[in-house]
Amino acid sequence: MATVVDSSNPKSNFPIQYRELNYLNCSKGWKSWFFTLDHKRIGIMYLIGVTTSFFLGGLFAMLLRTELLSPSRILMGADSYNQMFTLHGAIMTFLVIIPGVPAAIGNIILPIMLGAKDVAFPRMNLGSFYLWMFGAFFFLAAIVLGGLDTGWTFYTPYSITTSTAVITALMGVFILGFSSIFTGLNFIVTIHTMRPPGMTWFKMPLFLWALYATALIQILATPVLGITGLLLIVERAFHIGIFDPALGGDPVLFQHFFWFYSHPAVYVMILPAMGVVSEVIAVHSRKHIFGYRFIAYSSIAIAAFGFLVWGHHMFVSGQSKVVAVVFSAITFSVSIPSAIKVFNWLTTMYKGSIHFTTAMCYGLSFIFIFTIGGLTGLFLATLATDVHLHDTYFVVAHFHYVMMGSSLVGLFAAVHHWWPKISGRMFNEYWGRIACLGVFMGFNLTFFPQFLLGTRGMPRRYYTYLPEFQNLHILSTMGAYLLGISSTLMVATLIYSIYHGKKAPANPWGGASLEWQCSSPPPGNNFDHPPLAGDPYVMESVVYNEEIGGYVPAECQGDNTGSVTASGDKEV
Amino acid sequence: MNTAATTTTDEHADSHDHEHHDPRLAHHFDSHQQQFDTGKLGIWLFLVTEVLFFSGLFGFYAVYRSLHPEVFLYASQFLDTVLGAANTVVLLFSSLTMAWGVRCAQLGQTRGLLVCLVTTLACAAIFLGVKSFEYTEKAHHGLLWAGMYQSPEHHEADAAAAPAAEHGETAEHAHTAAADHGDESLFEKTKHTLSYMTTVLWVVIVLAGIAFGVFIKKPGKMTLATVAGCVLISAFGMMLGTYASIGYHHFGHAEKPTDEEIQMAETVPAEYAKQKEKVPEPALAGTFFSVYFCMTGLHAIHIIGGMIAISWLIVRTVHGAFTTYYFGAVDFVGLYWHLVDLIWIYLFPLLYLIN
Ligand code: HEM
Ligand SMILES: [Cu+2]
Repeated sequence: MATVVDSSNPKSNFPIQYRELNYLNCSKGWKSWFFTLDHKRIGIMYLIGVTTSFFLGGLFAMLLRTELLSPSRILMGADSYNQMFTLHGAIMTFLVIIPGVPAAIGNIILPIMLGAKDVAFPRMNLGSFYLWMFGAFFFLAAIVLGGLDTGWTFYTPYSITTSTAVITALMGVFILGFSSIFTGLNFIVTIHTMRPPGMTWFKMPLFLWALYATALIQILATPVLGITGLLLIVERAFHIGIFDPALGGDPVLFQHFFWFYSHPAVYVMILPAMGVVSEVIAVHSRKHIFGYRFIAYSSIAIAAFGFLVWGHHMFVSGQSKVVAVVFSAITFSVSIPSAIKVFNWLTTMYKGSIHFTTAMCYGLSFIFIFTIGGLTGLFLATLATDVHLHDTYFVVAHFHYVMMGSSLVGLFAAVHHWWPKISGRMFNEYWGRIACLGVFMGFNLTFFPQFLLGTRGMPRRYYTYLPEFQNLHILSTMGAYLLGISSTLMVATLIYSIYHGKKAPANPWGGASLEWQCSSPPPGNNFDHPPLAGDPYVMESVVYNEEIGGYVPAECQGDNTGSVTASGDKEV
Repeated sequence: MNTAATTTTDEHADSHDHEHHDPRLAHHFDSHQQQFDTGKLGIWLFLVTEVLFFSGLFGFYAVYRSLHPEVFLYASQFLDTVLGAANTVVLLFSSLTMAWGVRCAQLGQTRGLLVCLVTTLACAAIFLGVKSFEYTEKAHHGLLWAGMYQSPEHHEADAAAAPAAEHGETAEHAHTAAADHGDESLFEKTKHTLSYMTTVLWVVIVLAGIAFGVFIKKPGKMTLATVAGCVLISAFGMMLGTYASIGYHHFGHAEKPTDEEIQMAETVPAEYAKQKEKVPEPALAGTFFSVYFCMTGLHAIHIIGGMIAISWLIVRTVHGAFTTYYFGAVDFVGLYWHLVDLIWIYLFPLLYLIN
């Protein structure tokens, strides 16, 4: 039998580190996965789905960048290029980033952080996952049935006239929207009604605040996307003249509807990642988070402001000047809560004892990249500069800095931070950090040149360009390859750890929130007794223990008798 | 498998309070109160998303009405206010029975609950019956969404068989309409749609009736019998709604139908034919019907969703699932149903009562 530190052993004061029976092996067979109601298993299925989609979208990206190595045709012509960037964008947005942190990581971590046995509506949770699968299936069907070349934005009137599979793709978007709504609904209700004794709103870990703010946006904005998609489907199928100018409809109205969802949606992507970073920075700096309330309120502020700025995508679409000025001003103000977060993270690290673990490296990358991404957003929010920069590579670079460089890197940070909890295994820190370095360098190499391209006038969504842009394009493509290789390395490191990694202790990094109090991986129902929650950021409440290779509650340390054996790393 | 996990780990950690084996309490809740509160918050949030879902359409309505008020003035005259009002009353009544049902559930009166739910279901079906009559009648007159819209003025030109040379424009339009030929076939088709529909409904009624009769006798087939019963009630309600509307419609035309009038009535909506001074038709008249069909159509889909939910409640009630401390599902479906009603309460004046 494994040599396990077991708190059920009366001689041991340590919390249980590892159990023979956990949520991964407590039942077997495909049915026990596909019909499971366990939030952790559902989260794992999301994680697998998201990763698969990420590599599919990434493959498209590699092909796009390869085409752009030279202004002449290399792999594909203009039409295929249009389809390729559309599918890349749609898959990455709707299948990867939006469900990435909330649905995959949030599902696994949120109930454990709350000390709860499950989310409020486990069956609805499984339903959300199947809706996600269904939506993904429609996307695949769209690829097979003639592709899609409207851009992920589906602007009318082109989306009404193009011969590609717009309706199928929109069905996918509609279904994915409902998946996202139900996840958000589940999270809000769970946070409201299932907090453990002692956890007041301001004792919640900031990741939960972030998920809460995200969920608010999900349930308030996504229905509008749903109805917009539905109307566009009906427009294409029956010609109802709502968005079609030929029948008296208004294509700009579509843009309003679309951005009313899609701007808040960018905060659905970034807020959870910000929550992850709040956890990661505090835990790996071994210091109480600085400005807890500011970070918590700024999440809510971002969610609220996020609803009032959609017009900044339409500065050149013919809205009135007054409206444009108002939207510009509100857009400026939305960067204030974002900056508040950045300052608080930096201050948290100040005089902390920073451990450059892989998760922390991703967290630091996030701060660096998000700062650039957010600041360039201000260039775009300025009316005069946006007239020049709109629809150029500057916009492409901006949103990749915030979506890829921040949201996805935030997801990577989350995966590494909680990997020991999720899989029960420690990954190889060395290779993890190499991969992180590769992602960071590859990312900047890919997208920084695109800022330069954009300011010099390179328009987005073109498969060819003027010869003077070639050097920067080549740089960008090289970066993309590096990025592709590094993210593959990252996934390989993690997968390798499942088979050959050390067994993880309950609390490898020294976090003080509840998810670190149950064993790694957690048992099926997470906690035997509802745990008592305290301040989630008092890092002094846990101390490192050599024998276990992880942290244990401070009050357990010292008075322990010799009954403890090393944590279960006997296989290594 | 989840419960398996729970029990095994519970055995592991030396057993403690696991006494509640109440099947009505999900394993991850501590108390019935918590379970109920959770569901209640959940359904309210869901209703918020529903409101936002419709808000796109209401926003669209607001934009177009402020841009083209004349379209709404002109086109809403073709909607039948009496049928709309009748449907409003039916839905309001169904809200009453639904609320009553919730009360019965709270008091543990299973029979009362059953009666209330069945009445609500029947009302919903009547609503749909009236609505399908209205749709068919609209289609019959070519009053469809923008892409399929056919101006009533063309019909008039057709019906009077006048050369209509005085205003060349109308004649030209009439020509294209006749040439395109949606007209005759559309007219014929829609005229038959209602009789098809009622035939189908009769078949459903008979089949569901037989199924109900067969299953009700057999023990263990209670669920099937109840489902058949629900289908029966729904089909019957729809039938009632449709026939009532047809009857009302005939009554409206019935006084002394001359040949000319019949021809008029078959091609031009009665309200329009009766007008002495015709409002000139604005250019985008079809857009009103786009709005009309989108809004009422989406609403009708929600009614159907509600009917499914109510049927599910009926099945559970028959099985005695609800008690004085476990009636959440009834309450939640009730809330949903009130929202669907509420949306109709807005749709009715916004679409039917312009002027
Ligand atoms: C920090 C504050 C931010 C500001 C001030 C800002 C501002 C802007 C502006 C003004 C545009 C429109 C540019 C144009 O089309 O001409 C834009 C585009 C975009 N932004 Fe941001 N942004 C911010 C953060 C974010 C974040 C956090 C994300 C996503 C996670 C994001 C994703 C996008 C995307 C996807 C687009 C382009 C959409 C398209 O046309 O395809 N932005 N941003
Ligand atoms: Cu935006």
